[in-house]
Amino acid sequence: MLSRLHPLPKLVLCSLWLAASMLIFDAAFQLLTIGIVAASLILLERRSPLLVLALMVPFALFGFGFLTTSVLFRQESDFALRMAERAPFGGAAFSAGLVLFLRAIACGMISALFVLTTDPGALIKAMMVSWRLSPRIGYSLFSALHLTRDLASEAHEMRLARAMRRGRPPRRIPGPMETISLVVPLLAFAIRRASRMAIAMEARGLGALGHRTVAGAPEIHLRDLLFTAAAATMLAAAIYGALFSNTLLKIVSTCLK
Amino acid sequence: MLEIAEPVASWQDVAVRYPYHQATAVGPVSMAIRPGERLLLLGPSGSGKSTLLQTLTGLIPQSILADVVGAVRLFGQEASARAPAQWASHVAQLFQNPEQMLCGMTVADEVAFALENQGLAASEIQRRVAAALDRVGFPHDQRDRRTMTLSGGEKQLVALAAMLAQNAPLLVIDEPTAHLAPAAASRLRSLLLASRQAARSALIVDHRLDGMLGMIDRVVAIGADGTMIDGGAPREFFRRCHATLVSNGIWVPLAVAVDAALIAAGIRLAKAPLTMSEAIATLAALNDGRRTLSLEVARSLAARQLATAQASGTDNDIIAALSGVHCAPLFGPVTLRDVSLVLRRGETLAILGRNGAGKTTLGATLAGLLRPRRGRRSGPMGSICFQNPESQFLTGSVREELTAPPVDRHLAEWGLAGLGDRHPFELSQGQKRRLALATVTAGRDPPLLVLDEPTAGLDAAGKSLLSRRIERLAGQGSAIALITHDLDFALGVCRRAVVVGEGRVLADGPIAALMRDHALLARADLEEPPVLALLRWLESCRC
Repeated sequence: MLSRLHPLPKLVLCSLWLAASMLIFDAAFQLLTIGIVAASLILLERRSPLLVLALMVPFALFGFGFLTTSVLFRQESDFALRMAERAPFGGAAFSAGLVLFLRAIACGMISALFVLTTDPGALIKAMMVSWRLSPRIGYSLFSALHLTRDLASEAHEMRLARAMRRGRPPRRIPGPMETISLVVPLLAFAIRRASRMAIAMEARGLGALGHRTVAGAPEIHLRDLLFTAAAATMLAAAIYGALFSNTLLKIVSTCLK
Repeated sequence: MLEIAEPVASWQDVAVRYPYHQATAVGPVSMAIRPGERLLLLGPSGSGKSTLLQTLTGLIPQSILADVVGAVRLFGQEASARAPAQWASHVAQLFQNPEQMLCGMTVADEVAFALENQGLAASEIQRRVAAALDRVGFPHDQRDRRTMTLSGGEKQLVALAAMLAQNAPLLVIDEPTAHLAPAAASRLRSLLLASRQAARSALIVDHRLDGMLGMIDRVVAIGADGTMIDGGAPREFFRRCHATLVSNGIWVPLAVAVDAALIAAGIRLAKAPLTMSEAIATLAALNDGRRTLSLEVARSLAARQLATAQASGTDNDIIAALSGVHCAPLFGPVTLRDVSLVLRRGETLAILGRNGAGKTTLGATLAGLLRPRRGRRSGPMGSICFQNPESQFLTGSVREELTAPPVDRHLAEWGLAGLGDRHPFELSQGQKRRLALATVTAGRDPPLLVLDEPTAGLDAAGKSLLSRRIERLAGQGSAIALITHDLDFALGVCRRAVVVGEGRVLADGPIAALMRDHALLARADLEEPPVLALLRWLESCRC
């Protein structure tokens, strides 16, 4: 269902929610954000709960770094400790680290929700139509968005070619040394792809005229308005809840000091 | 007085040299395309055909750096008078490698891209996109797929549809059918060349000439050194230049080879045949005295085209076997179900089928490089020569790609002498194909070798070398699977074939018998190869 929404209201709402998640130092707010994103993916997008959990893993690993830093290096986490003055989860250091940990997951999951439910082509078309994005920049962005997907299959072919030279099958999951050795060839592939696409687009007339048609750009429907209203209300309620627990006030006062 | 129209495109003493290269890539060349004319450009791999095409709209030197001398004119103007993008309304181009032409969008967006750039109305774009995809026979339900997830042949169809949708007065087409199944290739050739539109001209480069020459007005050939050999109307040109073309490694149709063999035997047909049906009709009309000799000549020529390798015994060791296997590409859905086949020592097996049928996936599964989704594969890991030769290259120079000594000899054998220090990606498409084939065959005797479309972009000399190399490897005990749309080539090197389609293996048996099964050929988008048509007629003459 979320995949059928217009990409731009979704982008704006996800950006606002990301900003709120960055600014509001409140564990409940972060947990609520994670819950809403997970529920949306599972219930509205019919994604497997296991996939949603797996998506959290890299962000959790990233957030775990904040948690350990906060607990083990308290002087480095002065700001966070002051934010977590009233520690709801035991010690102040642990509480602060936990909020940072949850914030990393929340921000990651908001980004994942947007990426999983948005077609890059539709996003770029919508930006070209509604935000007057230059076609050259638009198609560059488009290529970059798609490239990340194509790198996986290119890496697979490279691994096969190497395995053949060695005369033994590739490992199911590449080891750290193999992964590192793929970085430069994949970078070369990305550069080559980009230059070829630029030539192909030029040969097919990109930039020949001052104006160009954008065929099949997404249009705003009633469902987009309903989604925007519902999501904005939820965000406002969550922020109000965070304000009620005085966390936001603490941020403002700390910043003013 | 006959009015000679101004050419739509012309090259006058044009030569191109790439930066840091001593020799010119192509030229000097002088030629022109007249309005409504269909011009075929022939030349061996690496002779600079694609480079010449890219000078037409100024992609070379404006987007791809190179020194260009001479004058290139397009529709009465210097090509350099406009930016390459501004010629898109006049010139629709199809690059040799479809991956160089597609931008990674969905199929429908890809076809619409050039039309959007021309600022056409959205409704007109929609109409033209649907019409172009219908003309190339691309299925409706696949139009939202990303082009990067398509098979090589499907990509070529989309690139062709994108070019046709432009409806430009000049088509520049570089090997349009290299990755297409024979029936699809025939349909596309007819689509591109058969309808005579006075306003539409076409410049075409291709190695697969059977079935095309009847639609061509004029042929120009350039040699291995990039200079012009000769040109003229196809019938006279091929008769006059047959020996020169063969010595330059340029492919000629079988009907032309028959004509040349007859001339060598002292029989000069009144009209040089261009197609096999023309050749058969002419032979059938000969009187008794010349007829017997001509049949002998034709029979001998046809026999040379068929596989001479000994069929492997059915008791030879099994090298690789698939048992009840479901084949699927990486990250993709199952394309072939319940596949069971064995490949024995010394056997050469052709894998045939329509575009997108799952031939590449089957080849990779057979080689052990893709894990079956279901069922069991047994046998050692094989080597594969990928459909896109660039996927084969891992190092920074041609020389480093060939690990087995003596490297210089391997390079010379594959026509790559003098290119050892070049980066593999700097080579022409045909040279890349030769290098990719050399990496898996030179100085190596793999137990199992899968060749995926090895003749795409390869000239006659390259095909001949590949054919000899396959025979040698099979003779030494290697099992070889050949995925190809080039049925003449398959008949020349394989005794057995599997035909895939409709999500399964449709047939498995002797290739000559399968190629005579017209119902099977139609189901798999294949066509009877010219050599079998000739053999069928020769057999009917015996009765």
